[in-house]
Amino acid sequence: MADNKESKETKFKDLVSYSEPALRNNASIVEYCRTSMSALSGCTAGILGLTGLYGFAFYIFSVFVLWGLILFKAGHLWQKYFLNRHSLLTGGFFSGLFTYVLFWTYPFFKIIISYI
Amino acid sequence: MAELVLDINIRGWVFLPIVLITFLVGVIRHYVSLLITSQKKVELTQVQDSQVLIRSRMLRENGRYISKQGFYMRRHFFNNEENGYFKTQKRTVPAQTAMPDPSMMTEMLKGNITNVLPMVVIGGWINWMFSGFVTTKVPFPLTLRFKPMLQRGIELVSLDAAWVSSASWYFLNVFGLRSIYALVLGENNAADQSRLMQDQMSGAAMSMPIDPKVAFKAEWEALEISSHKWALADLDNEVLSVLMNKSNK
Repeated sequence: MADNKESKETKFKDLVSYSEPALRNNASIVEYCRTSMSALSGCTAGILGLTGLYGFAFYIFSVFVLWGLILFKAGHLWQKYFLNRHSLLTGGFFSGLFTYVLFWTYPFFKIIISYI
Repeated sequence: MAELVLDINIRGWVFLPIVLITFLVGVIRHYVSLLITSQKKVELTQVQDSQVLIRSRMLRENGRYISKQGFYMRRHFFNNEENGYFKTQKRTVPAQTAMPDPSMMTEMLKGNITNVLPMVVIGGWINWMFSGFVTTKVPFPLTLRFKPMLQRGIELVSLDAAWVSSASWYFLNVFGLRSIYALVLGENNAADQSRLMQDQMSGAAMSMPIDPKVAFKAEWEALEISSHKWALADLDNEVLSVLMNKSNK
């Protein structure tokens, strides 16, 4: 805002103008996807019987897979829907991790039982 | 270390019931709080203030798409020294009386009924009903520091830290089901117990009513330093180049 002289030279295509409700809507949809993904991948990890660091590696793997899927869905027009790519990857990491650990623990009970 | 073997009845009568109770209590809390919250009375001036603030913010953000004259005309309407909107509107600060009005008190009481009461009652009940069970094991190794956190209610020195007692399993559920509620009940639901805990910790449970005078002053300053930059100056060339590209193809 302060540099008035430079602003005259900004090109039309460099401008970013976005609609806030639409962005918020996109973010909440991504959040839904992330919760579902972490629950599903947690179940998968539990059923596969992953323990320790393998399980956490699987969570990170699933986060990357979801990121890839979203970017694939958005196609080369991802700038149209999201402001930046890396916040899609990192946002909600820890709340997803909580859900993941919980769902990872659910089927794990069965595995302990099967020792009988 | 020998592997512990848990009775299958623990799963049927402790493990799954705790999950179900935690989840369903969250759902019930959501609907009860929907039932007993009353519509907030809104003052006409408050709506007016917030709408004016939104308009001014939009002018700052998107002012580059309107003509210079249009931008300064609108800014003049808000910021003019003699009769600008932000200058002339004298809002009184909402009265900070020692005794808050009774409607506030009932709101707080209702909030307590839906938030604190279930947490105390259900938490205490689960502690009493399912006390002393080793319910499950988290699938990753933990250090000894986690023992008091995860094994509340079981004081066994030799037990591995990865085992979870029933009371701690309840708390794990409370935190872990948070995002599932968002999935099931939609966003901004009232089922979230952990958010309430955070509120209590930060001491932000009682929010102050915002002062329109301060907001007006801030918005006036922000609008005053923003100047018009015309975003569409290069528009004709841009359109021409797009059209040229199209016709070339």
